[in-house]
Amino acid sequence: MSRTGKKALIVGAGPAGIEAALKIGRAGYEVMLVEKETTPGGYLNKLCSTFPRWEDPQNLLQVKLEQLRAIPDIKLLTGSSVVSARRTERGFFVELAGDSSTRDTGIEVAAVVLATGFDYYDVRRYGEYGYGVYPGVMSAPEFEARLKEWKNEPEQIEPPGAVAFIKCVGSRDRAKGYPYCSSICCMYTAKQAALVKEIFPRTACYVFYMDVRAAGSGYEEFVRSTIEDKRVRYVRGRPAKVLPEGGRLQIRVEDTLMGTPVEIEVDMVVLAGAVVPREETVRLAGLFEAHIDRYGFLASEPGQPVQAGERVFFAGGCGFPVSIKGAQEQGAAAAAEVIALFNQPG
Amino acid sequence: MEVAYYPGCSLHSAAREYDMSTRLVCRHLGISLKEIKDWNCCGATAAHSLDHLLAVSLGARNLALLDGMKMTRVTSPCANCYSRLKAAAHELQHDEILKTEVERILEAPVPCGVEVLSLLEMFVTQVGIDTIAENVSKPLKGMKLAAYYGCLLTRPSRISGFDDPEQPVSMDRLLEGLGAETVDWSHKAECCGAGFTAAEVGIVLDLGGQVLEAARQAGAEALVVACPMCQLNLDTRQGAIEANRGTRYDLPVMYFTQLMGLAFGYSPRVLGLKRLLTSPFPLLKTKGLL
Amino acid sequence: MPIRIGESSSSLQERVEEACSVDLSQCYECGKCSGGCSTTHLMDYTPRKIIQLIKLGYCDILYNSDALWLCVGCHLCVDRCPAQIDIPRIVDYLREQAYQQGIKPTREQVVTFNALMLGSVFKRGRVSEATLMLQFNLRTRRYFKDAQLGTKMLVKGKVNPFVPGVKGTRELRRLFRGKPAGKER
Repeated sequence: MSRTGKKALIVGAGPAGIEAALKIGRAGYEVMLVEKETTPGGYLNKLCSTFPRWEDPQNLLQVKLEQLRAIPDIKLLTGSSVVSARRTERGFFVELAGDSSTRDTGIEVAAVVLATGFDYYDVRRYGEYGYGVYPGVMSAPEFEARLKEWKNEPEQIEPPGAVAFIKCVGSRDRAKGYPYCSSICCMYTAKQAALVKEIFPRTACYVFYMDVRAAGSGYEEFVRSTIEDKRVRYVRGRPAKVLPEGGRLQIRVEDTLMGTPVEIEVDMVVLAGAVVPREETVRLAGLFEAHIDRYGFLASEPGQPVQAGERVFFAGGCGFPVSIKGAQEQGAAAAAEVIALFNQPG
Repeated sequence: MEVAYYPGCSLHSAAREYDMSTRLVCRHLGISLKEIKDWNCCGATAAHSLDHLLAVSLGARNLALLDGMKMTRVTSPCANCYSRLKAAAHELQHDEILKTEVERILEAPVPCGVEVLSLLEMFVTQVGIDTIAENVSKPLKGMKLAAYYGCLLTRPSRISGFDDPEQPVSMDRLLEGLGAETVDWSHKAECCGAGFTAAEVGIVLDLGGQVLEAARQAGAEALVVACPMCQLNLDTRQGAIEANRGTRYDLPVMYFTQLMGLAFGYSPRVLGLKRLLTSPFPLLKTKGLL
Repeated sequence: MPIRIGESSSSLQERVEEACSVDLSQCYECGKCSGGCSTTHLMDYTPRKIIQLIKLGYCDILYNSDALWLCVGCHLCVDRCPAQIDIPRIVDYLREQAYQQGIKPTREQVVTFNALMLGSVFKRGRVSEATLMLQFNLRTRRYFKDAQLGTKMLVKGKVNPFVPGVKGTRELRRLFRGKPAGKER
């Protein structure tokens, strides 16, 4: 039993939620970590590798899960979600679904950390890229799964002749998508292209870009290494159309450095869909009276970067697109807020 | 159902078969087409590229004529006429200053809120593909068709608001409702060269050639269109395109209303199928549709 | 030669924005308009460059550019533009300006065709394709152009020189406001 009986609810057991749980638990408070999926880890389960340090996501996750298990005050509930929440004098009374022990009674929590993650934009809306119409056009998360297979059994695969990566699909698009920059796509695209070259050095890789945004520790070096060491070709210009042509896929694009239209033939096209808010986040924000921005990301209060309401904190992609490391940092920051709150007498 | 009808100039000359088949299938489906009395040319590319105010005014006159007929819904089979009329209605509705100016020149009020529909849109949204399918007496079994939408049926999408501008499906669904097979292909909504029919033939041969080539690669036996300009470019220039590319296409280019008529049991003669330069008869014969 | 940008050239962007109801400052300069443009491979300036030239205020290049007369008006660009900039409308505006100013177009036959067509609309309110084609071939001195095709179309009944005109020609002619677009130059 914890020293005060104060309990924190954390929604979402991805990198941000796990980090918040660990820190709060280590400080000696009870934690209920709720995950809607049957396994914890969020996108760590789906990634082939990380940027900029080429870590093994499964390794990262297992280390964290071991640490979680070592703290008895942390209770992990998978396959569960919050159905209702009511503000009380000292926090919230919350009902959870998916777990019969708490369903009827509900639990009393003194603080909430929302770490519900993000979704990828539905790239089907870009008819010009033919996702769902032409086989060979896939979303970045689908390609990540493909990379995992390739990495495990490269000798089983017939390497593609060429792969194209299209960035800003749904980002920086006022017409069909969102005006903001999704901030992680430049990096994960560089990572995916570099991985292709590592597995199949003879496969040509093209990255189509408007800008390369690599602001972060080790980021610029990472992208340069993709270009210089892995020999991935970067073409400046936003592709206009993907067409099937003689069994392959033709990309029509203006090379904006040359100022001329270019046609490039490839075998696969990877669409880096925007990072978008989850409906689940908006629903929870309603339940917990938390602020959201005009897109549906959780919004912070002035001067309180990880707070979205009274006793409501947030971390990770539910606030805005963020890297794994950034999500962990925010998880730790949210935990610090919760601990500070719990440490207050009364 | 009663709807105003704006045929446009082509339907009186090169595309008369489109007019014939449109009137026929509409009558069959119980749609009463009321031709706009004394309608004028939309001005097409010529007007909007040399005199914007004139382009809007030409549309405005047609809209005002509709008002005189007490009609608020109009359909045009010609993609160009439809697009120009819809664009004019859109601009007049969203630009009060322009509207005042046009009404001053026209010396007549221009109605707001007229519903402008392409013929395809009218069939799909107002009649429904199920109803159309119920009227089929002679299914177009075994025909592999490439539905070609061209530019102006769906674009610009913020004005047309119909179907997906890049991967449209409405005509495909309609043709499937007639019992035909449609091919998935890449050039459904690419451009055939449109208004350059006469002035820049080279461009038509280039762009039209890409459309025909894509349809061939997809295994289509014929193209189906909803625009007289598309039909003209792809059909009458097909010989020149073949000579240019050194490939024989022999792809009939039919109006979707002609195929509706066939499936409803009308004879090729009343549907004007003989008027197409690339004859559809050998294909229709092999499919047992004659 | 470098493009000289002076104070006097700076108002073009605002004029275009006003006339065409567009906001060119929203342009991402991504080139998506130009990669898929139907006639981009023939243009001297791609649509993206046209937008940039407007921003630089360089009227002379714009009004004399070949691209102006190569735009086919297919609207592929505006539907793909992430800022939904109405490029076809902008091109129309530039064409109209160039035409009004009497600048010799690079593709004279395109303007001739358009002017002949408007002439027919002015005269009769409607256009007979056959008459228009004939007029065009005579005007451009290509007497035998499409002669074979014309015969084929005649046989198929696709040529109808007797398209009835509109009755209200007087009110229709008012729409031309005495401008040269309706009359041939």
